[in-house]
Amino acid sequence: MQSVTWKMGGEAGYGIMSSGTMLCRTFSRLGYHVLATNEYPSLIRGGHNLITVRIATQEFASLNKDVHILVALNKETVDLHKEELTKGAILLFDPKDHTWQATDFSKEMQLVAVPLADIVSEHKGDPVMRNTVALGATVALLGTDFSAIESVIRDQFKRKGQEVIDNNIAIAKAGYDHIKTNFTNQSSMFLSKGEKKEPFLVINGSEAVGVGAVRAGLKFAAIYPMTPINSVITFLADHAKELQLVYKQPEDEIAGINMAIGASIGGVRSMVATSGGGFALMVEGLSLAGILEVPLVIDLGMRPGPATGMPTWTGQGELQFAIHAGHGEFPRIILAPGDIQEAYSLTVDAFNLADRYQVPVFILTDKYLNESQWCAPKSHFQKDVATNRGKLVKEEELATDGSFGRYSLETDDGVSSRSLPGMKNGFYIANSYEHDEQGYTTELADLAAAMAQKRLSKLVAIQKVGGAPTVYGERDSEITFVAWGSTKGPILEAMKLLGSKGKKSKLIHFTWLFPFPTEEVTKLLSPVTRLVDVELNTTAQLAFLIREHTGISITEKILQCNGRMLYPEEIVERISKVT
Amino acid sequence: MPSITADSFKTSFLPTWCPGCGDFGIWMSLKNALANLGIGSDDGFLVYGIGCHGNMQDWMKIYGARGLHGRALPVAQGIKLANHKLPVICITGDGDCLGEGGNHLIHAAKRNPDITVIIHDNQVYGLTTGQASPTAQPGFKTKSTPTGATDTPINPLTLGLTAGATFIARGFAGDTPGLTDLMQRAISHKGFSVLDVLQPCVTFDKVHTYGWYRQRLYQLDKEGYVPDNKIKAFEKALEWGDKIPIGIFYKEDRPTSEEVEPALTGAPLKDLPLTVSNIDGLLSEFI
Ligand SMILES: Cc1ncc(C[n+]2csc(CCOP(=O)(O)OP(=O)(O)O)c2C)c(N)n1
Ligand code: SF4
Repeated sequence: MQSVTWKMGGEAGYGIMSSGTMLCRTFSRLGYHVLATNEYPSLIRGGHNLITVRIATQEFASLNKDVHILVALNKETVDLHKEELTKGAILLFDPKDHTWQATDFSKEMQLVAVPLADIVSEHKGDPVMRNTVALGATVALLGTDFSAIESVIRDQFKRKGQEVIDNNIAIAKAGYDHIKTNFTNQSSMFLSKGEKKEPFLVINGSEAVGVGAVRAGLKFAAIYPMTPINSVITFLADHAKELQLVYKQPEDEIAGINMAIGASIGGVRSMVATSGGGFALMVEGLSLAGILEVPLVIDLGMRPGPATGMPTWTGQGELQFAIHAGHGEFPRIILAPGDIQEAYSLTVDAFNLADRYQVPVFILTDKYLNESQWCAPKSHFQKDVATNRGKLVKEEELATDGSFGRYSLETDDGVSSRSLPGMKNGFYIANSYEHDEQGYTTELADLAAAMAQKRLSKLVAIQKVGGAPTVYGERDSEITFVAWGSTKGPILEAMKLLGSKGKKSKLIHFTWLFPFPTEEVTKLLSPVTRLVDVELNTTAQLAFLIREHTGISITEKILQCNGRMLYPEEIVERISKVT
Repeated sequence: MPSITADSFKTSFLPTWCPGCGDFGIWMSLKNALANLGIGSDDGFLVYGIGCHGNMQDWMKIYGARGLHGRALPVAQGIKLANHKLPVICITGDGDCLGEGGNHLIHAAKRNPDITVIIHDNQVYGLTTGQASPTAQPGFKTKSTPTGATDTPINPLTLGLTAGATFIARGFAGDTPGLTDLMQRAISHKGFSVLDVLQPCVTFDKVHTYGWYRQRLYQLDKEGYVPDNKIKAFEKALEWGDKIPIGIFYKEDRPTSEEVEPALTGAPLKDLPLTVSNIDGLLSEFI
């Protein structure tokens, strides 16, 4: 096989998510491309958890609908997912849960019974280790040497000691041997050789944001826990000591953004991360960052709202919220990564832009991007990172006559030089009231207008460096998709499917959303005859933005707001419908 | 180098407080305290709340931030973590830090950052022209409580004590020398200092005047009170009525929130390099 999709399902609390990650690592190390996405309800025990892993010899951008192996850790998993299985798929189950027969399925199925629970108890393991048996069995079903997963188990349980490592390896090996002994002719899912040459990382979106942040020199983060940004917290807290940074858990998101603003005034690169509800609490603080002109990075991980919504599912409902959030008018920058490499690179960019223009910069991520395990060349994350702290003055550059104006109106781009508290001769007040050049409160008409203009004029300067959308696919296409953020992967895969049906398509993908690149977009979209907007929200927020800035109205829309990422097949199907 | 005096903080703005406002006494005391401690315009950081008290910023030449109503403490903690060598003081009001920002006071106390918070306690919202504040005493008539306040007032001292503040004191805006001394001690204390200052609002409070306070106030230390016991501090902090104690109620040494941060053992965060030295090590967990 060139590509195999594997699912493991069962009750929450049975190590299903970590199994997916371990499988990804195993096959990434062997030179395959991998991607894992998880689905789970917002609770800790019980409920149905699912992880889907695609392993392929060639690069790919998203999952597709074919499922080749289903590992069922309970009966419910089969009931829920059996219709997704392709003809000839393998169902790996424990006969203790349920005895499945060929007649239970509408399609031809290969039933692979493995006594998961018995193997675990033979090795005196904890019942939750059934997933480990299944992992060993999976490696055998895919035709790979056991050694591949052995090293991953070693690394996974490194902190837990040799005994735990040995036990896990023994249990996985028993699963592996069970297949090798009892299913000797089972080679239908054997993978062809992986073709990746260089080392790849297996990393989720939030971790990529975290790596980007620390590579950019992040020194302070105040993040109140909320799905789907919790792994940013874990990453930063784990590395706080060695990277010499401070992660603080604030009492709420209001405190979080105000702490981050304080740290930024103090002179360090700082960030917050949250989801829609937490960001709603931060909005007044955002406006504060606006008038104080402090650099600030905000990772806004989207999930479906309103209110608590569906905490563990994905969506793209906060684009217009991020653009319009905050009372009063002030500039901001909004970026939205479409994949793991962009999550890293745009985070690095965000810190530089924040410093360069002294504005809040958003990274709009989402649950799908943040919690999926992606693979990407390690070299991408190792490249030298250029840091630009913008107009941050050095103490010795400050005039000794006390004339320094932190909010000087004499600028070519609206950005004034910034001193740091404690610098001799750099005195100013970061004042949330409208202020003069040193930060003293003012209500003078001309001065107030000039300050407002100064701040807003940054947008013009930012627009000059703003990124045009990226075009993927064929120049002369019948269909042009327009999208932003993480729907990129499924659309790229949908384009392949359309191509195989002889339909040419392309994607105009936005990672830079605000200030809106009006000129470039007008140029790109004007000549196109068939535009299709793809978004995970109900109101087509990007299409709205495009219309607002260019006058171009996109009438064909593929929208989804059920918390799920689109499958490429669904996009193709919905395209055909509108034809 | 010219020595630092109260005049060092002069700006070209004159106070806009009502003549006789208790904020004048707090302002004077603060300038004296800073000067006595050798903290000049470039050596400290003031974070102001929103309210009459926060207006002080315009006539106080020292690095500072005036953020949102109620949010002075989070900003202060951010600054302190970015530059833990910088003395940080919050100028806040009873509405600002017990009403809008009450949660932040509790959590700051729990963390124990080396920050001093000076609460201008006038029982009213001065800047919004005289509504009841969280410290308004029962029966106190204000614009928002025309028949008299009914709620149990928040006591900043007992609140600070339970939440974990390591220095708790109360001063009086009408006693500049005494207040200056308390401020110096609060600022010098390594840890979170809560200094509640009884501040007559001459415009919106005709009850709690300078005279009203003077009749009732007494100095804790003159009675031989030693501020080293939390239970005793509670008892004293609960005294209110004919006799009202001022002075230091409680003092304790506990590691500050900066001291427990492994990244803050040396130079301030702001001076650390931006680069990651061992990128390979950082990425190894993702292979
Ligand atoms: C979010 C928000 N809500 C309300 C206000 C209006 N406001 C300004 S000052 C203030 C109360 C100030 O009271 P206090 O903190 O006791 O200060 P004082 O004026 O008495 O010194 C209020 C409610 C505001 N600025 N921001
Ligand atoms: S209103 Fe009260 S608190 Fe405000 S300045 Fe006047 S006297 Fe002072």
